[in-house]
Amino acid sequence: MGTALIVYPFLFLALFFESFILVTLLSKPARATRARKPATNDDALPAVAVIVPCWNEGETLVATTESVLALDYPALKLEVVLVDNASTDDTPRIMERYRENPRVRLVHESKQGKHHAVNAGIAATSAEFIGCLDADSFVAPDALREAIVSFDDPRVAATTAAMSVHAPDTILRHMQNAEYIFGIILRHALATVNGIHVTPGPFSLYRRSVVDALGGFQFGYQTEDMEMALRLQRAGYRIDSAPRARVYTKAPATLPKLVKQRVRWTSGFLRNVLGEYRGLVGRRQYGALGIIVLPLGFLAIASGLLLTGLAVVRMWDMISTAIAVRSGIPFSYAWVPPVSHFDWFYLPGTFFVGLGVATLIISVGMIIAGKRLSKTPGSLGLGIVSYAFLYGLVAPLWLAQSAFDVTFGKKRGWR
Amino acid sequence: MSLTLRNALIALGVTIALIATVAYAVQYLNQQRVADLTAIEDQISIDTLSLDTQFSLLEAAPCANAASSTDLTGALADLGDRLAYAEGQLGSENAQVLRLKEQYSLLEIRDYLVTKQLAAACGTHPVTVLYFYSNAGDCADCAKAGYALSYLRDTYPKLRVYSFDYNLSLGALSTLISLDHVQNTLPAFVINGKASYGFTDLATLEKQFPKGSLATTTAAK
Repeated sequence: MGTALIVYPFLFLALFFESFILVTLLSKPARATRARKPATNDDALPAVAVIVPCWNEGETLVATTESVLALDYPALKLEVVLVDNASTDDTPRIMERYRENPRVRLVHESKQGKHHAVNAGIAATSAEFIGCLDADSFVAPDALREAIVSFDDPRVAATTAAMSVHAPDTILRHMQNAEYIFGIILRHALATVNGIHVTPGPFSLYRRSVVDALGGFQFGYQTEDMEMALRLQRAGYRIDSAPRARVYTKAPATLPKLVKQRVRWTSGFLRNVLGEYRGLVGRRQYGALGIIVLPLGFLAIASGLLLTGLAVVRMWDMISTAIAVRSGIPFSYAWVPPVSHFDWFYLPGTFFVGLGVATLIISVGMIIAGKRLSKTPGSLGLGIVSYAFLYGLVAPLWLAQSAFDVTFGKKRGWR
Repeated sequence: MSLTLRNALIALGVTIALIATVAYAVQYLNQQRVADLTAIEDQISIDTLSLDTQFSLLEAAPCANAASSTDLTGALADLGDRLAYAEGQLGSENAQVLRLKEQYSLLEIRDYLVTKQLAAACGTHPVTVLYFYSNAGDCADCAKAGYALSYLRDTYPKLRVYSFDYNLSLGALSTLISLDHVQNTLPAFVINGKASYGFTDLATLEKQFPKGSLATTTAAK
């Protein structure tokens, strides 16, 4: 009963958050966003500069740049700014391929840090809108026309795209693909109530005048996109989402790389929100962001650690009991599962399991909805299965490491 | 009212409705489980009574019923497994579980008595084990003992194991305990009428059985 008292409040909050997302998705503003058409009047389209900050991105830089150049957008109103941020690989040499391309600007920024690179890119252009695109991401041809309509609302200072994983080929990448597509529907719903707390590196767009007014990009504990989003929110602007502006990003292929990336994200969240942006948490004036998103962000980290700890203790208890009970009994009886037919009687129908299943079903439903809404191509079956059964096992790794890093002030490299 | 507040209030209502639905579904599933147990118990009860009645009617030739008595013991074992699972799901204090356990214990005692009667009339030598356990947290070795007996029961189908919750408040069970002089030192075993206490391991338990009794029964595996 003691464990239940700890677990049930977290399950209640998880269900509440999912219900909030579902209700918001059905609300009139969300339906209006979904009914929005991509921009078609070329004459009315604003000038956009897509900045690609590069730090040792030689492997993917060409594909990323080509995807931007292939965007369905008037050529005279779109430019690409490639910013080499003190790379030590062949990035500068590869950038030189575009030296003669009139739509591409090449910038070299010696001060390391994504914020320095993006600011250098902004300084090199006079475009009215700024797009940021990580150099390991590729945009769909219609992504910019889908995204730029977000700025029809003058209160909108930034908009986010519909991210998914580029060519998922391993279980780990399929899992991340499902998670990213889940993120599409979450951001779509949260944008409706202005609750977005991060403008991801893969193709977020900014109103340049607002970015300039706020002093450009700043250091944000290796999560500069999140720092900028929080600063926009604090200044009272809106962050929108363009659920059909597809962008594909390369996801970490191995568990150590994934953990490193997520530790950067999670510790960046904790450091930003516990630090400069603490004033946003729990404040009604910041609406869904202050009352729901940021507090639940902390609770998600805390519950992930707590529930994992409880699960490990419970698992250890079960295993040690099973070993003790079976000791001395022949192996063939004790450890080889008997061949038996399905019997509904033994279905584990506890309240805890029921709530867990309900939460999972809603999550899966939202992942499917995210795929349909964004029209993201590819199969989701393996992604959903791996997300359902694997994510809960690996997420505690970066949650624990992030909590450790933030508690003891440990800093880690980007990769 | 802001959109956020409105959505949050509706979401709260949806959450409560979802939780209520889950609670109802779990309750329904457990009720179905209890109904299933009750149906099995009713069937076994009828079978036991039938066997008992046949035994009385055919006093001159009762031994033809020995086989059906063995079938009943297998059904009782399956019922015991289900009851133990239901007890884990619903809790040992659940009134329905307690009622079912009482009925189950009565059926076991009835089958035990029929087995003894058949043995006396037909000259057979069944090996019977009365196993007394406790779920009150005061029996550290009961889980191990229960599992070892399950192994023996599954390995030697003719072995008749009857499990009883020592703390169950049931007149017939109290009488059985006092008749066999079973002390409150658990786990306790009465193997063919001879009481022993405590559990260390399977090999030690097997030594409590009459010499050759396990070997003479038909092994299932």
